Amino acid sequence: MLKPMMFLLGAAALIALPHGLSFSQQEILVFMVINILLVMSYRLLTLTGEWSLGHVVIMGVGAYASALMTKNLGVPVPLGMILGGVAAALLAVLLSFPLFRMKGFYFLIGSFAAGEIIRLIWKRFREPFGGVRGISGIDPMPDFSIGFYSFDFFEPVSYYYFAGAIVAFCLWVLWRIEKSPVGLTFHAVHWQDKLAQASGVNLRAYRTLAFAIASGFAGIAGALQAHYVGTVNPNSFDIEVMVFVLTWAIVGGTTTFYGPILGCVLLTVINEIVLRGMGFEQARPLFYGAIMILSILFLPNGLESIVQKFIPRKSAAKSDRKAEA
Amino acid sequence: MLSKYISKGFTRRTFLKTSAAATAALGLPKVALAAGEPIKIGFLAPLTGAVAAWGKPGLDGCMIWAERVNAAGGIMLADGPHPVEFVAYDEEYDPAKARTGATKLIREDGVSFIMMLGGDPWPGVQPVAERTGMLFSTLLPSDLSPDTKTLLAPAEVHPIYNVTGVEWLAQNKPELKTAVMCAQDDALGLPSVATYLAAFEAAGIEMLDEPLLFDPATTDFAPVVTRLMAKNPDIICLDTCYSDYVHPIAEQLFQQNFKGQIISCTADFYDQMIAKTSKEFMEGFIFQFPDFDDPALNAENVNFQDPNGFYAEYNKRHPGQWGAVSWEYASIMDLWKVAAEKAGSADPEAVLAAMKDGPGNHAFGEAEWWGNELFGIDNALVGDWPVVAIEDGKAVIKEFRSIPDWYNRHGDLLIKHMQAYGQMWDQRG
Repeated sequence: MLKPMMFLLGAAALIALPHGLSFSQQEILVFMVINILLVMSYRLLTLTGEWSLGHVVIMGVGAYASALMTKNLGVPVPLGMILGGVAAALLAVLLSFPLFRMKGFYFLIGSFAAGEIIRLIWKRFREPFGGVRGISGIDPMPDFSIGFYSFDFFEPVSYYYFAGAIVAFCLWVLWRIEKSPVGLTFHAVHWQDKLAQASGVNLRAYRTLAFAIASGFAGIAGALQAHYVGTVNPNSFDIEVMVFVLTWAIVGGTTTFYGPILGCVLLTVINEIVLRGMGFEQARPLFYGAIMILSILFLPNGLESIVQKFIPRKSAAKSDRKAEA
Repeated sequence: MLSKYISKGFTRRTFLKTSAAATAALGLPKVALAAGEPIKIGFLAPLTGAVAAWGKPGLDGCMIWAERVNAAGGIMLADGPHPVEFVAYDEEYDPAKARTGATKLIREDGVSFIMMLGGDPWPGVQPVAERTGMLFSTLLPSDLSPDTKTLLAPAEVHPIYNVTGVEWLAQNKPELKTAVMCAQDDALGLPSVATYLAAFEAAGIEMLDEPLLFDPATTDFAPVVTRLMAKNPDIICLDTCYSDYVHPIAEQLFQQNFKGQIISCTADFYDQMIAKTSKEFMEGFIFQFPDFDDPALNAENVNFQDPNGFYAEYNKRHPGQWGAVSWEYASIMDLWKVAAEKAGSADPEAVLAAMKDGPGNHAFGEAEWWGNELFGIDNALVGDWPVVAIEDGKAVIKEFRSIPDWYNRHGDLLIKHMQAYGQMWDQRG
């Protein structure tokens, strides 16, 4: 009974949240929700032990694909978003052939190189990618009404509800995947790869599967962003943005489902709201770097380790009570 | 805090149509100022990151401009004088952050006008501009299009003014017959490449090679410079490279013993370049952005107020930081101030109408609203532009040249090269 109540309260809080924020904070909230999907999709890839430097470019693949399909082929925006995710997943499958001949550090560098190749293709081919200027005037999500609420997708609140619903669904799917036998196999591929291989697990196939699923969700995140901002260009998906994703994952931690979300939310709030609000507009990179260093020094297992400190105690207390009974 | 609007069936679209009172509460452009209330101006540009050199010095210049205007009594509107203040937002040269910044400046801070660097962030702001009717300015007229009537390029017509430097070179150093060029492969570099190609063609200077486009992430310029020098050109053109590229390229040219002519759109912080190379090496370096202590800026046709005093004050506060944009945003504010005082209002629509009512007093002289052929709209203010050379370690204005005169003679070449690089307004993605 407690769990559904907590869930309902959480959902109500998330629905009410934008109404307690200023306009610019609502805008930041929209991008934060999209970034949560991005970093959570990245986490799925890390479950197999592989860290990529091309994940943001894959997000861009979804953004470009959706933008081109809606703009040039007249595909409806919601369908374009789904197809953007599919395009990103398919490209990941293609990339997996050269990339999964490598492991660890070599995969990391290989993924960076693959990402740069994709970005160069966007820059070089003005048709259809728009060259260095990218694509602008991307169709927004069409407005609609559901009787008691009219969605005007220029408005951050409307887009927050829309993107939030999609991201929540995607997170649920990611959660189900992780808790399924497939997800457990991802963990095995990471931590017990020799044993898993000896048990008949095709390591490369599972790494490819994780890469494709993660890329598909990153592509949806890219499409969500493209149809809100109305423009995509190669610089929006460069290594600097990737560093932010890595930072969210590292500061939050990747061993739990909520770790990267904590990292993304906390660092976004600090960087975009707190530091700007305190008047440290131009000194933000300095503060952000300091926070990174401090968190690595004093929280090597990420923010999730703070939460974990409390959860085991609860479980232990429960077991103690059971034992006493 | 409750949301500033009620969700049920109450969209911004209906709201714009019906509620003037609520509009004022939301800080939309129609907001009326109380007597004596400060006029807020938005400064939406990169203040951190690789492109900050074309944002931060501009904000520093605006702060000096505001102090001087406020000390002189402020901006005189129909209801009396108003002080002016700037509200800055670092958009990090990112369209998404620029959108957030524009929303904040318009709907929370209640600004009357927003100045931007432009470029990549503009498409993210464009829907906000179109929905709110806010008046924006850009330093990059390649952002202009007929879609957004409230975007102006009143300070510089980048990169069209680069033709003046090439034309001056051709007339004053006719022995220079060949050139090569490099540029970063981005939205700032490519239109400039097209412009320089047109200018060289018009001047009868032969390009020895295709422009060398390097990735913006490039940090090692030795191979770039080696390739540029391989053809033994008379002129090496650095296009509109960011100062983070111009400096190492100049350093490499010096180390690889280049003896020819260098031309560049900018030479920000050229004193540091001289320190890294030599005074002799930098002698005759041609670019387009003067120091404002130049006596030529005291001529009657120059409309920038007290340029020498402004430069002295800037250097006192920010020594060694004077750059291409230090004066540009302030010069836009000069234009805005004249227009607001003429309109008697800070309302964006009224200021826009007043600003475009006849020729404009550009910093370097009277200029025309121009650009329909290149940008699809006459929202760029174009007139004379200075050609600057480094002489004895100091930037010196060699001459002011007319951009429209060049365009009237060679406009077809410019359009041809702009089309080849996909830079015409109707070719954008």
